[in-house]
Amino acid sequence: MESLDGTDWDVLIVGTGLSQSLLATALSRSGKKILHIDKNDYYGGSEAAFSLQEAEGWSRSVAKDGSSSTTFANVSIHQPEGSETDLTKLLSSRAYSLSLSPQLIYTRSRILPILVSSKVHRQLEFLAVGAWWVYTPGNSAEKLSGNSSQSRSGTAVGHGALNKVPSGREDIFAAQDLDMKAKRSLIKFLRFIGEYEEQGEVWEAHSQAPFSTFLSEQFRIPVALHASLLALTLSSLDADHTTTEFALPRIARHLRSIGSLGPGFGSVIPKWGGLSEVCQVGCRAGAVGGAVYVLGNGLAGPVIDEHPSDGATTETATSSDHLMVVLKDGESVKTRWIAGSRTPQPTEPQICSKSITIVSSSIEALFPPIAEGAPKPAGAVVFFPSGSLVPPDEEDAAPTLSSVYVFVHSSDTGECPANQSILYASVALAGDKAVNLLDKAVQSLLSSVNAQPQPAILWSLRYEQRSQLTQRSQLTQRQENLASTRTASLDQQILVFPPTSLDLAFDDSVLDQVKGVWRTIVGDEGGDFMVFEDREGAGADDEGGEL
Amino acid sequence: MADSGATSAPKPSSSVKLVLLGEAAVGKSSLVMRFVNNDFQENKEPTIGAAFLTQKCNLPTRTIKFEIWDTAGQERFASLAPMYYRNAQAALVVYDITKASSLQKAQHWVAELQRQASPGIVIALVGNKFDLASANPASDTSTGGDDADATATAEEEEDVDGESDARKVPTKTAKAYADEEALLFFETSAKTGLNVAEVFTAIANAIPETSLKGPRGVGGQTNLGRQEDSARVNLTGANVQGPKEGCAC
Ligand SMILES: Nc1nc2c(ncn2[C@@H]2O[C@H](COP(=O)(O)OP(=O)(O)O)[C@@H](O)[C@H]2O)c(=O)[nH]1
Ligand SMILES: [Mg+2]
Repeated sequence: MESLDGTDWDVLIVGTGLSQSLLATALSRSGKKILHIDKNDYYGGSEAAFSLQEAEGWSRSVAKDGSSSTTFANVSIHQPEGSETDLTKLLSSRAYSLSLSPQLIYTRSRILPILVSSKVHRQLEFLAVGAWWVYTPGNSAEKLSGNSSQSRSGTAVGHGALNKVPSGREDIFAAQDLDMKAKRSLIKFLRFIGEYEEQGEVWEAHSQAPFSTFLSEQFRIPVALHASLLALTLSSLDADHTTTEFALPRIARHLRSIGSLGPGFGSVIPKWGGLSEVCQVGCRAGAVGGAVYVLGNGLAGPVIDEHPSDGATTETATSSDHLMVVLKDGESVKTRWIAGSRTPQPTEPQICSKSITIVSSSIEALFPPIAEGAPKPAGAVVFFPSGSLVPPDEEDAAPTLSSVYVFVHSSDTGECPANQSILYASVALAGDKAVNLLDKAVQSLLSSVNAQPQPAILWSLRYEQRSQLTQRSQLTQRQENLASTRTASLDQQILVFPPTSLDLAFDDSVLDQVKGVWRTIVGDEGGDFMVFEDREGAGADDEGGEL
Repeated sequence: MADSGATSAPKPSSSVKLVLLGEAAVGKSSLVMRFVNNDFQENKEPTIGAAFLTQKCNLPTRTIKFEIWDTAGQERFASLAPMYYRNAQAALVVYDITKASSLQKAQHWVAELQRQASPGIVIALVGNKFDLASANPASDTSTGGDDADATATAEEEEDVDGESDARKVPTKTAKAYADEEALLFFETSAKTGLNVAEVFTAIANAIPETSLKGPRGVGGQTNLGRQEDSARVNLTGANVQGPKEGCAC
């Protein structure tokens, strides 16, 4: 196993991002000879998690790669000059595991049963996301407080306020500052959304209408409550631009997920750094299945068909067809299939800016207990509606895209030491305007949580991430594959995943793509997707011996 | 080991992720096999890639469930180990007392762990194949009850008459290195079982209680009165005391 070029590989998996890592797990019992490489010297690709030092290395390498790495750009690290005491609070580099992929995973997401049936869940821990909050700016806080429920935090004059999004009927009834009419309209809306699919007559005619118009006209929901409902869509657009068709299924997903893995919460996050942990565990399952892992070595050049003369004319590849690729270290690898992911083009329209901020407080106020019998929350969501951070009249461009979401992770995630927390902020814009909004969101959050002394920023990282606008089908992806020169047969042996989605909730279409690639490789005899027995000795608690 | 029968009293239980590292053929898989199945196979086929096994270790006040990652091969690419020692709370770095180069390799692993793994990871240095050293009265006992270090050092003075003694790494050398780096140290035999359980018990005892609850052994976590896994979401729906899967009891 000391040389890569002496082997006829069945599958070369390029990159260790989420799709590729799940593919590695899916193929781990297939008996295929698998070589899994990554050009980076860390696992996880666009879903990686970093220590402080690794984050610095990443920032340098993105800067150096320039245009060749179009997924990420403009990475910068900031360590504010604070008081001595604040600075010493930043612990050693490896006390942090900062995630490039802090997405929420809804408890109804199909990825969870897949992790269970493939038995890799045994190496993962999931934590609950508790409260969702909506920010309202200082002066108007009292006026707009209609959507607050029992646990209000931070209504200090001059600061904005965070109001908890009611998470169900009980919350709505308990809300003291909602009048009966508003309560009734909300309850009516929630009842509708519970089975909106069957009530096409209520919304289909409005599917392209702004969600705000739909809420006002169909349900008479006061404008002050729109932000709470919009928050649940995780839409990057404001309520006047988010379509009803987009909003309804997402709110339904949110509400239907609540309770399915425990009372009062609807989404989870993996411990130790978001989806990076799922990538790691996926690759480990690959290694247990015998795959060879090579970091720091990517594709160096185009894929060459071993039989170019046939390849140009033959429609279907035969089992003897192998592709040749040269790796960065000069070795050439012979493989039947190549699976990798497409890098977004610089012209790709979908872009967002993100920041990761280490804060010197556990911000307990954001993590009220979820419900009786529920796990302790490790995540919270804070939504800053368009216009709440920068007054509309000061906005130069359209405020359409200026909603900011901040995911707050407690130290229970293992991403930071105790008594600190991590703020993952994102906005669907690029450039200075985005930077300004992200900074304002973090500042506003910290000043509105009423913690004494006010939490300080210990360290922060900013970057831009690009993806593609819509997830196109895997088949059309093949036209824009890894290689620059292709033949018809090559296209069938090169299987390409789209770039990581910028959605703030895990996008289940990843699973369909992985399944599609897996099925192409293993054929109809491959059994069920990701359904495995425990390996010997790796069983549940009650199996296996005791000392 | 202590009170394995006393399962009725619910002791706090926590998982500890442990990774095995070391040169090929030093006996990593054999140590795990001895620990998990109390078994030894003379000519087992080598591990490919990695293997995952679990085993519980009962301490007087708590139960530790070891999640053991046994790695193998692919040394040239140096890419396998990082995905196993990431977030690991313990590492067992193994060498073969009959092969001097294997201690060097072990030292490389220790250095890499100190550089890359979680701060606070508990590392045990283990010299395996103790049975191959000469004049080993302990070599036919399984899971000897003696204090590990005492047994090992006592033997070492006597390894003079060459014939059956294949020892190449003096206990003193390895012990001195382990002390310097603050590692737990044992000489073991997966073949006879000598000291195997002791290694794991020592690791279990060395894991600070705070790191079992808090993130990455950073400590200082004050989960007062909270149950250990109070934040963990159960994916398999057995939150409440439902029937245990695959268990007839
Ligand atoms: N005499 C002796 N042989 C051992 C011992 N442990 C392992 N071996 C043998 O050493 C060889 C390599 O063992 P293995 O567990 O596969 O090593 P690994 O590559 O580190 O996992 C096998 O032939 C084992 O039977 C031991 O304690 N004593
Ligand atoms: Mg082995």
